Amino acid sequence: MGNNKELLLAHASMKPVTSSQTVNVMLTPQFYTLKKEALPVRWAYQAKRIAPSLFDGLLEEGRHYDYMVWKEEGNWVFLAYDLEKITSFLETKGFALENVSKLFFAQQAIDLFDKPLLLGDNEVLVSLDHTAVMVPRAVLAEDEGPSLVFNNSFTPKNGVVLQGSYGSILNVKQASILVAVFSLFAMIFFVEGWRYSDNSKAGEGEMQQLREAYPSLQSKYTRDSIAAKYKTLDTIERKKRDVIKTLSKMIFKGVTLVSFELNEKSFKVQFSCSDAKVAKRLNTLAKKEKFSISKVAGGNDLKIEGTL
Amino acid sequence: MSLKRYQNELVALLAFLLMLGAFLYKNGQISSQEKYATTTKQAVGDFKEIIALKKIWADKKTSKKVEKLKNLIPAAKVKWSSKSKKLTASYKGLTAPELNKLVTKILDLPVEIQKLKIQKIASFYDVEFKCKW
Repeated sequence: MGNNKELLLAHASMKPVTSSQTVNVMLTPQFYTLKKEALPVRWAYQAKRIAPSLFDGLLEEGRHYDYMVWKEEGNWVFLAYDLEKITSFLETKGFALENVSKLFFAQQAIDLFDKPLLLGDNEVLVSLDHTAVMVPRAVLAEDEGPSLVFNNSFTPKNGVVLQGSYGSILNVKQASILVAVFSLFAMIFFVEGWRYSDNSKAGEGEMQQLREAYPSLQSKYTRDSIAAKYKTLDTIERKKRDVIKTLSKMIFKGVTLVSFELNEKSFKVQFSCSDAKVAKRLNTLAKKEKFSISKVAGGNDLKIEGTL
Repeated sequence: MSLKRYQNELVALLAFLLMLGAFLYKNGQISSQEKYATTTKQAVGDFKEIIALKKIWADKKTSKKVEKLKNLIPAAKVKWSSKSKKLTASYKGLTAPELNKLVTKILDLPVEIQKLKIQKIASFYDVEFKCKW
């Protein structure tokens, strides 16, 4: 029983409340319509589904009603209530709706109403034929005895959750759906993220294999040192070979190699050309390669130089 | 305004923030993974390049390959001096095909060319070649 919160009985003639604590509220029959029916249904959700049709013509038109259903000694108890009307009433009596935890109905605790409960000066809440009803105090006999003491022990097991069902954009169902969807996506994203972080370890495999295959290159310092040494050598030597290949392409019909010299820093070559036309063509080719060209005096020979 | 009044929205908002956090976490992991993959790929590439360079320029068979330059040309035309991974060779009176063959072979050798001198004498060529490895 959720009776850790104070249970207040709300009735039409009650005095305004001033408490700012979270409370549970039990409503008298003034706020609900009750019907008992023996229906051949097994589950409460099935009974709840047919509840609106049972109250056809009994409820005020144009209002929105919610229903509570439970089984009681072979009968189904149907209870229709207008939440908007209830909350309006509670507000007029000084209840801050955010401080109302749950709503209960007097009928839910009918077994405990074994004596009349005085409500104000003129009304009494009594149990008649196992149904909570409001009667004028005058109908009670003079020797009825003291009034029933109403306290937290009257708190039924199930109630109507009021928090969040007023003034909110989302009701509990919508909020639950959103939370479920967001949580599901959150879980998917977390799992994916975790899998990605786990995959990062797999990338080291190839590197590890290389390290094992070449133990002498395990140290990065060694690798950098070797790379610096051989990359420079490779670049210079490739350039020397490229120069030789380029110069060899300049030997065509009418061109003869007279001399060639290449050292670690530069090269120079002298070509003999058969005529001025060949010399011009050779000159163009050499210019294209941005080599330094000079004409040897007294003939069509060309001297080409360059640095490496 | 009481927060309690909007608890449904707050709970939904918290769930949304949780999802957003998870989404950012996933994206962060993807981006760091990509960065890591690039770095690893680069490191593997560098490693392989070093291996390839070492294979070319520190080949233990280079001496044997250099030795072939001696037998490429008739011995009478060759003056050969090889000592401790250094070679000084001079070739005299090479024909044009012999010169082409020699230069092509030299270019294919993984050695540091220190000097390559070709001089045409009449219709023949003299070559001086110095290298180390």
